[in-house]
Amino acid sequence: MKIGLEVHVALPTKTKLFCSDLAYENQEEPNSNVCPVCLGLPGAKPVLNQNALDISARIAKALNCEINEKTWFVRKVYFYPDLPKGYQITQLDGAIGIKGYVDLNGKKIGIRRVQIEEDPARIIREKDYSLIDFNRSGVPLNEIVTEPDITSLEELKNFIEELRSILYYQGVNINQELKTDLNISLAEKRVEVKNVTGVKNLISAAEYEIKRQSVLIKEGKKINAETRSYKEDSNETVSSREKETEEEYGFTFEPDLTFYDTTKLTIPKAVIASNIAKELADKNEYNEKTIRELILFNRRNLSLLTSISKEEFKKGVSLIEKFASFGIEDYSEQEFRKMLDKDVSSIEKEGFLQLLGRTNKSEKKADKTEIEAGIKEMLSSDKTLFDRGIKDEKAMNFMIGEVKEKYHITGKEAADFIKKVIKGMLNN
Amino acid sequence: MTAKFLSLTDSEYAIFISQLKQANERLNAFNFIDENKKSGKIISVKDNICVKGMPATASSKILQGYMPGFNATAVQRLENSGFSVIGKTNMDEFGFGSFGLNSEHPAKNPFNEEYVAGGSSSGSAVATALIKEHVSIAESTGGSISAPAAFCGVVGLTPTYGAISRYGLIDYASSLDKIGFIGKSADNLRDVMEKTVGSDPKDTTSLSNVISNKNPHKLYVIDNLVENIDESIKDRFEDLLAKLSAKDYEIEHVNVDYLEYSVPAYYILSMSEASTNLAKYQGFKYGFKVKDFSLNYNEFFMSARKQFGKEAKRRVILGTFIRSKSIKQRYYEKALAIRHAIIARMKKFLNDGFIIMPSMPIFTPKISEVSDISPVEAYSMDMLTVPPNLCGFPHMSFPYFYEKGMPLGAQIITDHFNDYSLLDFLSEWESGFKYKFKEEIG
Repeated sequence: MKIGLEVHVALPTKTKLFCSDLAYENQEEPNSNVCPVCLGLPGAKPVLNQNALDISARIAKALNCEINEKTWFVRKVYFYPDLPKGYQITQLDGAIGIKGYVDLNGKKIGIRRVQIEEDPARIIREKDYSLIDFNRSGVPLNEIVTEPDITSLEELKNFIEELRSILYYQGVNINQELKTDLNISLAEKRVEVKNVTGVKNLISAAEYEIKRQSVLIKEGKKINAETRSYKEDSNETVSSREKETEEEYGFTFEPDLTFYDTTKLTIPKAVIASNIAKELADKNEYNEKTIRELILFNRRNLSLLTSISKEEFKKGVSLIEKFASFGIEDYSEQEFRKMLDKDVSSIEKEGFLQLLGRTNKSEKKADKTEIEAGIKEMLSSDKTLFDRGIKDEKAMNFMIGEVKEKYHITGKEAADFIKKVIKGMLNN
Repeated sequence: MTAKFLSLTDSEYAIFISQLKQANERLNAFNFIDENKKSGKIISVKDNICVKGMPATASSKILQGYMPGFNATAVQRLENSGFSVIGKTNMDEFGFGSFGLNSEHPAKNPFNEEYVAGGSSSGSAVATALIKEHVSIAESTGGSISAPAAFCGVVGLTPTYGAISRYGLIDYASSLDKIGFIGKSADNLRDVMEKTVGSDPKDTTSLSNVISNKNPHKLYVIDNLVENIDESIKDRFEDLLAKLSAKDYEIEHVNVDYLEYSVPAYYILSMSEASTNLAKYQGFKYGFKVKDFSLNYNEFFMSARKQFGKEAKRRVILGTFIRSKSIKQRYYEKALAIRHAIIARMKKFLNDGFIIMPSMPIFTPKISEVSDISPVEAYSMDMLTVPPNLCGFPHMSFPYFYEKGMPLGAQIITDHFNDYSLLDFLSEWESGFKYKFKEEIG
């Protein structure tokens, strides 16, 4: 079995790849973060976001790639309504990173290429028509192309976990849905499942293909080289019925951009959490799996566990677990240190919080002032509410409802409190 | 000497506009004339360069109705320096042509309406010929400034590739496109040049290099390039060389390898890029809009792209073919190699001299003589303008003779970033030459 992947991941930059529109913030209104460049208007020209180049170089390095001394872009030409210029600016031979690998416990999964490219727009399909939102047009991506080195479903899962962890430590938003093209062949013929969204779907698609192709092999039938797509509702892949010709994108050098020198980039050494887990396990004689789970996607855990001594290690791990079990996410390193000296093995949440110096009482107090400030702001920003509030029960109830919803509070007691505050302010 | 441009008082403006419109009815210099009063120094802009609030069609039906909301950097810099854009000038569709005929209403030669204006910046040359003290912002990919300047008896300056920002230029072939100027005096051209050059954060390929000014007194004539041109043109050119020799220029005849491949290399590269630059015209966001929403997307795009003219379709099809995987090495990559080889060979001479040649290999043709010639014959008319364009060398076509009432142009080439030496040469030339302009307006 041979599996190869093309994983698309959005990069953590403030602005888009070739213009200064916001890439992720304020996206609620469709087509609000657009400009002549990402709309592909005649006359506009792309200008590379240097930050995207830096991050891509770091990702490539973290994937053990060679960094091309000069990196450049190509146009991939095809027609689709989400592609405003009629071509996507991407990379090929001049890709930022080439010939890398991900180490899965000694087995190397080759990384053929890490390339920088722009995301197309988003198509919103309605029943009789489609809409296009260009807010996403030009969002910076890395496409990570592996060699077909993955040989089992288990390995696929491990690879994806490892890749996501590496990306997490490069600042990538790990909650995003990765878009993956899955190439999978049990016999000679290569099947490509295009555009699988999310890790869960990727695994299901692979599972389905492995089953489908093995049945065909068992039955002595031939496997077609084809493009398939994954159907989320039915958990299966279906043939896209595309013509069996090689894709022809007419790649050509992107002459609106230039050659970018990467030799002057400073690329810090990458954090590979699974390697650190191994080192910590060896050093502290502790279970590697537990450490992995704590640090693979948690920067603070990694920093805490690498900073404590062997003697404290076991206690440190259970303290981290304790914090997690009590749902406390926002603790500082100082608070961690403070608790490390205390015996918290059988303590309840109340007592834990007390030791931590965060009592429920003080939390509530802080909330009250916050709510008061919120009400004040609401009243000052809406003159009609202010005017009607005293006489009009409806307006009062509306305000109470708003405040309750905003601060996620329930119960009659809270409502009375809110009412009292509002009345107090109205009478002033 | 100082630059001097036409500026109009409010009372003069209406007369100016009506004269301009009248002339335009005969000569088709403009695709669009802005009748709003202008307080600044009057310039015109080729219709493939964006001017905020004016239509930009590049003479293509597919861009009918496109109204850019931004200025090209060159336009912005000139407006900041007190210039006002009077209108958008006619051209071959997207810059595809050497005679100006690939336009719905082709521009006509101001010296004689039966003759071509040259292309692709046809309207810019005609407007410059017509309007007093005029400079038009034009653009050249393979000779689109030199050719019309030569045929219309005006000066065409094509700067070093990257010297002027391409931001706001509707692309033909991005690695070859250069914004430049058509004008009538060295001083005016120097003025607009000085106000537009310099790097632009909005165009990655714009250059910050300081433009130096070495003034060689040596002129190289490339014999193997000039040998295939019209015999009478050759004779006039010999006369020009004699005059320049008398002005203390040292003339040296040389041969440059590979130049015979420059036209094919140019068309391979430019068509290849053009076919991608024209992929954005899809008929639903701006310009021509397809109204039939029952079509599927392939049909939809096809019905939009039917709006391209014949030459545009030809270049999209050939360019797409050239880019295809199995063909690319055979043509595209060889063309790139030729380009580099020619740059190196020409640079050797430009180190210590200008290269000089006629601008066009023929006399200005009648419209009827060239409207039916084959594409290959038409492309071969660029044999003299293509080499400096392919290499990004700054060059200038200037009028040097009038034959039976029609102007002849010669082209002088200098090294990268040495653009101003062309204007120094022109100043010197102007001291002993009498221009005959077809000025009627202003």
